[in-house]
Formats: sequence, C-alpha cells, structure tokens
Amino acid sequence: MADVLNVGVNLEAFAQAISAIQALRSSVSRVFDCLKDGMRNKETLEGREKAFIAHFQDNLHSVNRDLNELERLSNLVGKPSENHPLHNSGLLSLDPVQDKTPLYSQLLQAYKWSNKSPFHGVAGGLLNQESLLARASAQGLRARQRPNSLLPPEYVDDVISRIDRMFPEMSIHLSRPNGTSAMLLVTLGKVLKVIVVMRSLFIDRTIVKGYNENVYTEDGKLDIWSKSNYQVFQKVTDHATTALLHYQLPQMPDVVVRSFMTWLRSYIKLFQAPCQRCGKFLQDGLPPTWRDFRTLEAFHDTCRQ
Amino acid sequence: MEAPPVTMMPVTGGTINMMEYLLQGSVLDHSLESLIHRLRGLCDNMEPETFLDHEMVFLLKGQQASPFVLRARRSMDRTGAPWHLRYLGQPEMGDKNRHALVRNCVDIATSENLTDFLMEMGFRMDHEFVAKGHLFRKGIMKIMVYKIFRILVPGNTDSTEALSLSYLVELSVVAPAGQDMVSDDMRNFAEQLKPLVHLEKIDPKRLM
Amino acid sequence: MGVTCVSQMPVAEGKSVQQTVELLTRKLEMLGAEKQGTFCVDCETYHTAASTLGSQGQPGKLMYVMHNSEYPLSCFALFENGPCLIADTNFDVLMVKLKGFFQSAKASKIETRGTRYQYCDFLVKVGTVTMGPSARGISVEVEYGPCVVASDCWSLLLEFLQNFLGTHTPGAPTVFGNRHDAVYGPADTMVQYMELFNKIRKQQQVPVAGIR
Repeated sequence: MADVLNVGVNLEAFAQAISAIQALRSSVSRVFDCLKDGMRNKETLEGREKAFIAHFQDNLHSVNRDLNELERLSNLVGKPSENHPLHNSGLLSLDPVQDKTPLYSQLLQAYKWSNKSPFHGVAGGLLNQESLLARASAQGLRARQRPNSLLPPEYVDDVISRIDRMFPEMSIHLSRPNGTSAMLLVTLGKVLKVIVVMRSLFIDRTIVKGYNENVYTEDGKLDIWSKSNYQVFQKVTDHATTALLHYQLPQMPDVVVRSFMTWLRSYIKLFQAPCQRCGKFLQDGLPPTWRDFRTLEAFHDTCRQ
Repeated sequence: MEAPPVTMMPVTGGTINMMEYLLQGSVLDHSLESLIHRLRGLCDNMEPETFLDHEMVFLLKGQQASPFVLRARRSMDRTGAPWHLRYLGQPEMGDKNRHALVRNCVDIATSENLTDFLMEMGFRMDHEFVAKGHLFRKGIMKIMVYKIFRILVPGNTDSTEALSLSYLVELSVVAPAGQDMVSDDMRNFAEQLKPLVHLEKIDPKRLM
Repeated sequence: MGVTCVSQMPVAEGKSVQQTVELLTRKLEMLGAEKQGTFCVDCETYHTAASTLGSQGQPGKLMYVMHNSEYPLSCFALFENGPCLIADTNFDVLMVKLKGFFQSAKASKIETRGTRYQYCDFLVKVGTVTMGPSARGISVEVEYGPCVVASDCWSLLLEFLQNFLGTHTPGAPTVFGNRHDAVYGPADTMVQYMELFNKIRKQQQVPVAGIR
C-alpha cells in the first residue's frame, strides 16, 4: 500500500515545497499588512511617502523570491500518483461493486456539506449585521431578521424624550404623520433645524435646514424632501448622512440615536467655532461644517483627515 | 430666501385715495341667531368666521381744531397676525343718489410694536374697547356683526363688560374714490336683510 | 434673512466714488461672487411740524421713513434710538395725511443704489449713496443668510469683511450689541442704514477731496 502512494514522489522535496508555500503565504500577507497600515507617521509628508514605498518594495521583492523558490521545488517534486483528495478513503472508489454500495459518492457529498456549514454561520451573522444589505432586502424578510423593528412606539417615544431631556439646548418634537414611523423635528438652539425620519428606532433620513427656514409644506406637514437654500446646511446634511452610516450598532439602536444626537449637538457652535486645523472660519465661503465623530472638533470639509 | 429684486424703481407707494362706503344698524341679542342664519344664506360660501379684536384709539393734538385720529387694532384670538392701523377721514353724507356714508380710509398692516411707535410719534391713547363677533363676505362687501365691550381696567383685556344688549351690524366696502356704484349694491343687499335689521347711512355728527 | 452688517467704505485716494465702487465690485467678481440684479435703499426724514412742537413742548424729534428693495412691500418707520415700525407701503399714504403734523425735511431724501452679489451664503451689496444729484459715499452691506443671531457669527462675518475690505473693515455694528441672543431682523438692518445715512449727511459739511 505504502509503495503505491510513494511512487515517483520525492518526499524530501515535498517537505521543502510545503515550507516554501508557507514562506510565500507569509510574505504575501506581509504585503497586505503593509498596505493596510498605510503610511507611518513621519515629520514630513515626503518622508512618510518615501518610507512607505521602500517598505512596500521590500515586501514585493520577498514575495518574488519565495515564488521562484516554490517554482524550483515544484519541478523536483515530480508528478504525484493518482491523487486521492480524501486520502485513504479514496481507495473506496476502487471498489468494483459501486452500483450496490455508492459509499464513495455519498462520502464526497457529505464532505462538501460539512465543509460549507461553518461558512453558512458566518454569512448569516454578517447579513444580520449589515444594515445596508438588510435595507435593500424585502420588508418582511427584514422584519424577521431584525426583531428591533417591532419595538413598540411607546418605547421609541420614551427613548426620544429621554434624549430630549438630556440636552437643554436641543428641543425634539416627535410626530407620527404616517402610521407608526416617527418623524422628529430637532431644533438646535437658534442655529439649525433637523428633520429626522425614523423607522422604529433606526434613523432613515435626515435633512438639516436653517433656523429661519420653513420646514413645513404648504399643507402643514413636515417637508422631508426639499433641501436647504443655504450651502452650509446642504453640506451639514451630507455630513449628517455620513454620520448615520458611521453610528451603526444594530443590537442597541437607542445608543445609536443617542450618539447621533450628541454628535449633532456639536453644531450649536456651527458659526462660532473656527477650524481646528487651519484656524480660520471660512473656506470657500463656508464655515467648518465637519464634526469629528469621536472628538466632535470642528473642521472644514477639506481640512479633515 | 428673498427673491432678487427685478426693479430699480424706488419702492414707495401704497394705494392712494381709498374710500370706505358704510351702512350701519343694530340687532338685539335675541335676534342675533336669525340674522346670522340669514347672512350665511346670502353671503359667499365660506367657513363661518369669528373675531375677537382689541382696538385702541389714538389722538395726536396739534394747533389745528381737530385732533388727528388713528385706530390700532390687534387680534386677540389669532397670535402672530399683524396689527392693523387705520386712518378714517371725515365722513361725507352726500346726496340722496349715494346710498352709503363715505369716508377716506387708509389701512396699514404693521408690526406689533405699533403702540410704542405711536407714542413716540406723539400720539396719546384716547380710549380702547374689545370687539367680538362674526364676519361675512359677499364679493367685495364685508359684513361685520359684533358686540362692543368696555374695558374695566385700562390695558387689561381680560376684564370686560358688554356695552349694550345689542349687536352692531356694519356693511362696508373699501373701493377707490369715485366708484359710487358700489353703494347701489350695498343698498340692494341691505334690502334683503330687512326686516331683521335696518342698515342705514348714519351721520355720526348727528349723534354727538 | 440673516445677520447683516452695513458699513461705509471710504473713497480711495485719488479716485472718484464711481471708480472705488468699480474697484470693489471687481474684487467681488474675482472672489467668485455672482451678480444678482440691483438693490435700492431710500430714506426720507420728517420733522415734527412746528405746530405740535410749540404746544407740547417736546423736543423736535426726527422720524425716518425708509424702504428697502429686498422687502418691496414693506415700509420702515423709525426714530433715532427708538422703535422701528415695520408696516406695509400704505404707511406712505398715511404720511401724506399727516402732513399737518409731520413735514418732510427739504431735499433730505437720501438713498443708496447698486448691485447685489451672491457669494456662497453671503449676500453683498455695494451701493453709491446719493443725496439729490450728488454722490456722497459708498455703502457696503454684507448679509450672512444661514445665521440668525448676530453675536454667533460676528467673528465669521469679520473674517469675510477683512478679506474683502482689508484695512477698512468696520467694527461690530451697535445693533449687534443691543440684545444678546435675539433673532436678527430686517429692522436691525434698517437701523444700520439710518445710522450710515446720518453719518454721511454730517460728512457733507466737510467735503472730501475726490468725490465727484
């Protein structure tokens, strides 16, 4: 039996080839690590770029070296005998009475299934978390996947009113013009108004307008479609939409709403805070419209990193 | 945002020389119901409109014999509505061919600091009252049925007292000077309100 | 309606009013501002007629009746350091009726006319101030539309003005200091124009060289 497997195989070369593959793998992953980490901090931008490029080049060279080594070894290994993917169990396929006992084909199928099953688990988890995908999927499907969309309106009211009490300079008016979905009109000091369209406790859409701008349509409903007349608030609207995508925590939607509102509150100084990077108020006629998600510091759109 | 102006013309203006044509009458409280009913049938089809106004009459005394009178009115039941400043000229009775009293009139909508401003101009408040009632329209005709309340404590519109047991009925039209035909329409309309109320042109000088 | 700052731009040395205005508008166009029609602000002065003055013994106050093409249906009436009434244009008719009590000062009508520029959320109006037939000075109005509280955006406005007017940047208008966080309104702009016009009227006695 052992002879059958060993025919034409140079075991020595085989072991070397395996270690060559390992070396290749690790050098490839170093390349990606280097790309992922990006530029290291250096005093000057030029220095940073130089160091990065040199590092990247080194890594690529080592990949090349390992690949050549592997190629050389693969010639030495020689052609393996009739290769059985399932090792010794492959001998089952040699059984001449296959029609009566289709053991081998069943075994292959079972192997494929068991191989796939861990991926199912991972993919399912990912799907559950990824709200963008969930949003695109059908309504009923999402309702099953996310039990949160079944939150009672009273709970939503409670969360919102707690946030309302948290920030004295921010007043939140909640209404439900279309069924159970809530709409919020957030007035921040005398600076701006924000229309927030909710689906359960998830924020679907926000529009930022000026304090003196009309937020109602002619028939007295909240106008959730038209944008602000002022460029500065159009910009802030864009940033608020970015913030919605940033603050995502499907298991704790109330935390998301609270973080978003905390972030929004930093706009109370929209016209009073100079940019933390360039120190100026205006850039292309606009004040610093960006607020950092963690530090809440003010930056111009082009000054943020 | 305001629309960009399209003209270089200096913006001065207003509508010069408007006249108010007026017929007056009154009904006792107990006939109010039937008058309202009749008016709803006769007038333009609209939601019944009520009003509650506080009117202050201001005088500016000069060396001339008669002081200059301005009326400032504000709505008590509609917050945010502009104040109404009104100038009324000397009433003219005219001859028999004109069926309504005519007086010059200027209506101005203003911001709510009107009283302060009039004081600054040198006006002094003469008297004030509260008017409460119903408003009807038919074309350009305006019909007001209202009761006048005396204000017991100056400036406090919460404590008031009805002046009489009747409602004042006024039929008025504001039109550019010289359009005396409107008084014919007014007379025709007044005819249709008889015998519930008799609207006449009443010379205020006769009452003094 | 946003926060507005009205200021006077002195005539550049050796230039006429017209040339200085052109200099300013060119600067605006370089900045990328877009021309958006024209504007006009006028002001008529009324004296309390002598008749009322004597009888009541009150000092002769001046009343200003103004119009602004930005608010074409409104009329603004104001006293120095007093209230500003916003009314519709029928107020002009009332002033005719009040002729016996308030008389317009002879040849006191002063106005500024010019071009309206939009730059981002800023509205800039550079105007030539005229009294009768002669040009007396230059007015510069800068409005920042998105903000409604003067004290919030003064630093921001100042930065814009410094870029645009350089050394002639004005100080904060007095109306900004009056009420801490009140909402800025059209009346506040008119008060600034009234003050500007009064300042220019007084300068009339000392004619500046270079004014046409």
